[in-house]
Amino acid sequence: MKRTFVIGCGKLGASIANEISRRGLEVIVVDPDESSFAMLDDDFSGDAKVEDASDLETLIDLGIESAGQVYITTGNDNLSLFLAHACAIEFEIPYVYVRFDDPTLGILVQGQSNIKAVYPFQLTRDRLALLREGSDVQ
Amino acid sequence: MKIVIAGGDSKAEYIIKSYKSRKNELVIINPSKSVVERLKKACQVKVYHGEPWSRIALEQSNAFDADVFIALCERDTDNYAACLMAKKMFNAKKTICVVDNPSNVEYFKKLGLDAVISSTYLLAQSIMSESSMESLTKTLSIDDNRIAVIEKVILSKYAICYKAIKDIRFPKYASISAIYRNYQIIIPSGSIVIQPKDTLLMVTAPANAKNLMKYVETERPDGKPAPKPAEPVADKNKKKKD
Repeated sequence: MKRTFVIGCGKLGASIANEISRRGLEVIVVDPDESSFAMLDDDFSGDAKVEDASDLETLIDLGIESAGQVYITTGNDNLSLFLAHACAIEFEIPYVYVRFDDPTLGILVQGQSNIKAVYPFQLTRDRLALLREGSDVQ
Repeated sequence: MKIVIAGGDSKAEYIIKSYKSRKNELVIINPSKSVVERLKKACQVKVYHGEPWSRIALEQSNAFDADVFIALCERDTDNYAACLMAKKMFNAKKTICVVDNPSNVEYFKKLGLDAVISSTYLLAQSIMSESSMESLTKTLSIDDNRIAVIEKVILSKYAICYKAIKDIRFPKYASISAIYRNYQIIIPSGSIVIQPKDTLLMVTAPANAKNLMKYVETERPDGKPAPKPAEPVADKNKKKKD
C-alpha cells in the first residue's frame, strides 16, 4: 500500500491522519506550525513534518511524487487549489482529496478526474435543510 | 485594451499610472481596504474592494473579457487562483502572474498559466548583466542566454566614431542591428556614419559579448576625440540633453 500524505494539520487534517494511522497504514502529515501536531494521537505512528507546503520542492523532498493518495486540508483555499492541481497534474497522484471553504472554486478543479473536492459549507447547508424538513413534518 | 489589475500596492499604482492615459479600460481590484483608498486618491480611478480570486468580486467589478489580467498579490498561490479564475471563468485573453518564489515559475506554467514573472529571477538576471558590463552598457539575453542584445553609447574618443559603417571592420561574430539617434531608430546601412552619443544596438552570442565591447570601446590611437569630418552632417541632433 502506497503512502498517504495529509497536508495541513488542523482539526480535519489531524483527525484524518489519526484515522489512517490507527488502521496501521503509512501516513505523513505536513504543517508549517509545529504546535498543530498536538492534535495527533499519542500513539500516532506516522511522520509529522514541520514544513511549508507552498514550496513544492519541499514536498518533493518528502517523497510526495510516490504517494498513493493526498488529503489537502490547509486553511487557505488558494493554496489548497494550487496543491491539488500540482498533486493531480504534475505528480500524477491517483487520488487527491481537497477541502474548500469557497464552493465557487470547485469549477477550477472540475474535469480533473483524480481530484475529489468537498465543500463543508454546502454539506452543512444541505444537512441543515434536511433537518429543517424533518422538523416541518412533525 | 481592457486591463484588470488584481492586488498589489505600489506595483499596482505604477501600472495604473502607465496605462491610465492611453485609452485603456482599467478594472482595479484590491483585497486591502487601506490600499483601495490610497490608490483611489493617488490615481483618481475607480478601485473595487474585493478578493481578486473570488468569483463574486470579479463578477461585480465586471472583469469579463480582459485583454490582459495582471495578478500582483503578495501570496503566489493567491495570484495562481486569480489568474486561473480569470482565464477559465472570465475569458481573459492573457494572464500575467507575478510570483515571489522563483521555483513557482516553472510549476505555474506547467499547470496552465501563460505568463509567470518572478522579480527575484529577473533581479538575478539583472545583477548578472549589470556586473559584467560597464554602466553605459545594457544587455538583454533572449532565449535562455543564447542571444545577447547589447546597447552601447558611442563616445567621440572611440575609433569607430565619425566613420561610415562600410569603412570599419566590424567583427564577424556580431552585427549592428539598429542605431538609436535623437529619439529615432536608424536601420544601419554601409553609408551611415556613426556619431557621438549614438546608441548602438548590437546582437551577438553571449560568449562574444566581452570581445565585442573591447572592439567598440577601442580608442583612437592618439587618444584624443576624433576631429569632426568636413562633410556637413545634420547637427540639430546635438540639442539632446545629457
